[in-house]
Amino acid sequence: MSPGPLARPLALAGKELKLFFRDHQALLFSLALPLVLVFLMVGTFGGQAAFHATAYFVNLDSGPAGAELARRLDALPEITVKVLEAQDAERRLAASDVVNVIVVGEGFSEDLAAGRTPPVTVRQRGNGGTEGQIVNSYAAAVIREMMGERQVARRVADVLAGAGLPAPPGEIETRVAALFNEARAHPPVHVVEEAVGARSEPVAIFLPGLVTMFTLFAISLGAAVLVEERKKGTLERLMATGLSRGELLAGTWLGTFGRGLFQVAFLFALAWAGFRIFTPATFGSVLAFGVVAVAAVSAVSLVIASLARTADQAIWIAVFTTMVMSVLGGSFFDSSALKGPAAVLARLTYNHWANDGLRRIITRGEPLASPGVLTDILVLGGIALVSAAVAAAVFRVRGDEK
Amino acid sequence: MADAEFVVVRDLRKVFNGHTAVDGVSFTIERGEIFGLLGPNGAGKTTTIRMMSTTLPISAGDVTVAGHSVRRKPAAVRRHIGVCPQELALYLELTALDNLVFFGRMRGLSRREAAAQAMENLELVGLTDRARQPVAKFSGGMKRRVNLAIALMNRPELLFLDEPTVGVDPQSRNHIFDTIEGLRDGGMTVLYTTHYMEEADRLCRRIAIMDGGRVIALDTPHNLKARYGDPERVTLEDVFLRLTGRRLRDAG
Repeated sequence: MSPGPLARPLALAGKELKLFFRDHQALLFSLALPLVLVFLMVGTFGGQAAFHATAYFVNLDSGPAGAELARRLDALPEITVKVLEAQDAERRLAASDVVNVIVVGEGFSEDLAAGRTPPVTVRQRGNGGTEGQIVNSYAAAVIREMMGERQVARRVADVLAGAGLPAPPGEIETRVAALFNEARAHPPVHVVEEAVGARSEPVAIFLPGLVTMFTLFAISLGAAVLVEERKKGTLERLMATGLSRGELLAGTWLGTFGRGLFQVAFLFALAWAGFRIFTPATFGSVLAFGVVAVAAVSAVSLVIASLARTADQAIWIAVFTTMVMSVLGGSFFDSSALKGPAAVLARLTYNHWANDGLRRIITRGEPLASPGVLTDILVLGGIALVSAAVAAAVFRVRGDEK
Repeated sequence: MADAEFVVVRDLRKVFNGHTAVDGVSFTIERGEIFGLLGPNGAGKTTTIRMMSTTLPISAGDVTVAGHSVRRKPAAVRRHIGVCPQELALYLELTALDNLVFFGRMRGLSRREAAAQAMENLELVGLTDRARQPVAKFSGGMKRRVNLAIALMNRPELLFLDEPTVGVDPQSRNHIFDTIEGLRDGGMTVLYTTHYMEEADRLCRRIAIMDGGRVIALDTPHNLKARYGDPERVTLEDVFLRLTGRRLRDAG
């Protein structure tokens, strides 16, 4: 039985993949470097999934409740309390070092014990920032909790006194505090967080751009390999076997496509494991979208391989293409928000459409069939077809052929 | 097609950007013959081989192999030929077996057929025990033998050997000679180019000497040597230098 029409392109692609997996430098560049960059960016811009903020705290209370409020706030996983002296706080506010400071007044303990609303002031620049407002909400909730405990203790004391059963000093407060502690340890409602698609964390925003950029980089640099084959004679040897130009380009495209798809799947799978930015559905959508995106960039790589006469030329074209497309196409920002000439330029790049589709799926939770994602898929498919046609038209086995 | 005209090269020409690299070359090769193509650098040997092996378009003239025209039926010609280029045209990162299987599959063999043929060829060139090692770890001579083994993956009737012994040790060179002679004895036709005159003298039944894109002499080694004196005393290198001169040639 003679092999089918795809046998030779598939064998070529298999050879490309074997070479890729045996090239440690290529693996490092394709798989490890993007991850390092993701971690660096997440570290720089703060990519933790849970909210966390610092509460700047000035305690003027003459009693113990002010310190207790600070301790309870600090015990929350979302909040770290930094206690400041009043003058230091004012200086920092003036210098905009901090924009939100919680100031517990002098009579805080006394008012709390008497059942009066305790004096707490929030000093802030502007509206105190989003973090400041959230911190203030946490502080208000803790103060309400403390007021509630004090109120319960007072009512219990009143009831016992009314029944002629006076309790030793401090006994009621201790027992009520223990009951509240137990209630906090075993809350009546257990809240579980579950990702449902749309995400706004830095990692979810930056990851598509970085994966797109590195995939373009790795795949376009791969064009040098085909050019190198001209130099070392394997290309001519291949053509002497009866391999057609179409089979050669198809096989090279398939091999590049396989490399790119592995790279995309690997990076997104690690991102899922590390940052939990996907659900099974969005991960499937991202991979399906990745198939189209990698198909497009693999065809772009063929164009580079066809245009370049030397490996150095291929590398420079690849570097230039990647840099220009990444900068214009929004690998470091959301290019869909651009207006005017910048928007037109962005739309001329592969990265814009790949990033837009991935961001729609990851951060907005859009399905593949949504009009926005479908548009991206159609444009990327067009890029793949046009690039393949250009490569087929200009590819030459030897530079000296006429 | 008579065995005497298994390969017919007729008035072959190649012009690159106005420069004539091959200028009206004609010769025939008999089936089962080792035919030497000699010449200084830039004489047009490799260009001739590339046209004969279908990888470079012919400007004028034609070549027929087993009755098939290179210009009109290159696909048919490719089925009959194997090419062992001057360069080590293989993948150093892959194993010897992987290289052979890959090129076998490019020749249209199934994976199983390619693997069987690859092992047979590796045995022929004495590399069976190194089949699964990356070629990058091989010596120069072993790489040359893999290069030759790849060219035999389709069991060609006509084998092009373009300087197959460059940079190899005497043992490997001798092994390659034995292999080539074995192939000839099995009926294979070989077109052999080399700069080593003693190789051509030992292996080739007839030799064409090229210079300036033309064939300037074509005969058996004995007859070529006889033109310039006692064939037992005159060497092929003497003949070569007399015909092509002593001027240095730096062109590739």
